[in-house]
Amino acid sequence: MAADLKTDVLVIGGGPAGSMTAKWAAQAGASVLMIEKRQEIGSPVRCGEGMSKDWLHDVGIKPGRWVNLEVEGARIYSPSEKVFEINEKHAGNEVGYVVERVEFDKQLAIDAANAGVEVRLKTAATGILKENGKVVGAKVKQFGTTFDVRAKVTIGADGFESQVGRWAGISTNIAIRDMDTCLQYRMTNVDSDSRYCDFYLGKVAPGGYVWVFPKGDGLANVGIGVQVSQVQSMAEARNYLDAWIAAHPGYAKGKKIDMVGGGVSISAPLKQTVTDGFMLVGDAARMIDPLTGGGIANGCIAGKICGTVAAEAAQTGDTSKAFLDKYEKGWRARLEEKLYRNWLAKEKLTTLSDATFDKIIDALAGVRLEKLNVHNILKAVHEKYPEVTKEFEAFL
Amino acid sequence: MANKKSLHIESSGQLCIYCGACVGICPLNCIYLDETRITFDEKVCTRCEICVKACPVGAIEID
Ligand SMILES: Cc1cc2nc3c(=O)[nH]c(=O)nc-3n(C[C@H](O)[C@H](O)[C@H](O)COP(=O)(O)OP(=O)(O)OC[C@H]3O[C@@H](n4cnc5c(N)ncnc54)[C@H](O)[C@@H]3O)c2cc1C
Repeated sequence: MAADLKTDVLVIGGGPAGSMTAKWAAQAGASVLMIEKRQEIGSPVRCGEGMSKDWLHDVGIKPGRWVNLEVEGARIYSPSEKVFEINEKHAGNEVGYVVERVEFDKQLAIDAANAGVEVRLKTAATGILKENGKVVGAKVKQFGTTFDVRAKVTIGADGFESQVGRWAGISTNIAIRDMDTCLQYRMTNVDSDSRYCDFYLGKVAPGGYVWVFPKGDGLANVGIGVQVSQVQSMAEARNYLDAWIAAHPGYAKGKKIDMVGGGVSISAPLKQTVTDGFMLVGDAARMIDPLTGGGIANGCIAGKICGTVAAEAAQTGDTSKAFLDKYEKGWRARLEEKLYRNWLAKEKLTTLSDATFDKIIDALAGVRLEKLNVHNILKAVHEKYPEVTKEFEAFL
Repeated sequence: MANKKSLHIESSGQLCIYCGACVGICPLNCIYLDETRITFDEKVCTRCEICVKACPVGAIEID
């Protein structure tokens, strides 16, 4: 039996959201312990490795060797493969850099460690400690030994699995229409174009899309997300992805060198992400953009706010829900409106037929939009296919 | 429940890729992922079959 530990801030999970939270809390003067159940930060990767870049400076991340390449934009393919190109600046939070996620996650953990965070690997939270309804730490298992970590503030950054929040009493349950089941191969010898991240919409990936994110030299991440509510049979993500690859000669000739999977939430924001002594951040808080499926940026942006508030709470001694609401308000001010808007758009897009997707992309392919927003998109579609925009009246 | 169906998670590595998709969607929070093993709480599980749909590689079966 190992001795119990005490810390100001306990961060559960060493992904991007956890490392950012830990780093900002340590920088603000708190003692911080970050635990990660895997033996290696960042591995295995569960990611397409595309991310936008305009937010990095704000949260104190410097581009390093984790940058794989920079793309000019995105290409959106309709079911009959009409193409609409979007400049990188307007293409959502998965387009800008293609990265090495293992290197990226490790760099953020290194930044956290250098800021004073204690990092423990092979260390899993197995439960939450509560006293008088307040979270006061977690039950932890490291190398087979169980002990308690007592913390002034405990943070659930455990990713899509999102169990820690549920142990703490926050519902992070999502509906099956608010989840994509994903599979991806890293493939070599494929005809990807290093200038673009590609997205294929429609029945090739019901309720989701197929993505091709280039890694240079004929290497690319080729993956798929399928909305779980549209899944009919077992292993559907894999079957759809294999079918898409077989139908595209530029990819069918490629060779797979690795395979990753995972769940992506495409939900509206949770109602609650804090309780007494406890906060949730990143995928664990279902902060992924429901339209793009990108979660790295949002997790890091919220992580900075979360870490800052955690340190303040630990130092003032007020770790009540009322105080931690500062984080709740902070991340919502920064992210909530867009998350909610994109969730509504997702709800609509997942119901469209292939014929409608074709018309929308066809109308957009022929025009040059000054500024990419819902209004301008609908205007362009309306000019060519007025019957299609009827379905979108709610957005006007 | 007297005659629950049997749920089988193939997590010896033949099918399962340990991605955690089943864990995050389980409405009863009764599936657990170690680095290389997935287990579930037989008593809590109601065989709702959501995890079967959520698994990208078909490693979960109910019969
Ligand atoms: C197939 C796929 C493709 C994706 N592609 C993209 C993309 O291209 N761009 C993008 O922006 N986003 C993408 N995402 C989403 C992105 O990967 C996540 O949003 C991001 O990893 C979230 O970071 P996080 O720190 O919240 O969680 P994670 O990165 O999942 O980190 C959580 C960590 O917590 C650990 N953990 C879990 N439980 C415990 C416990 N009990 N005790 C201790 N540690 C624990 C885990 O081992 C893990 O290391 C993709 C997701 C998937 C599944």
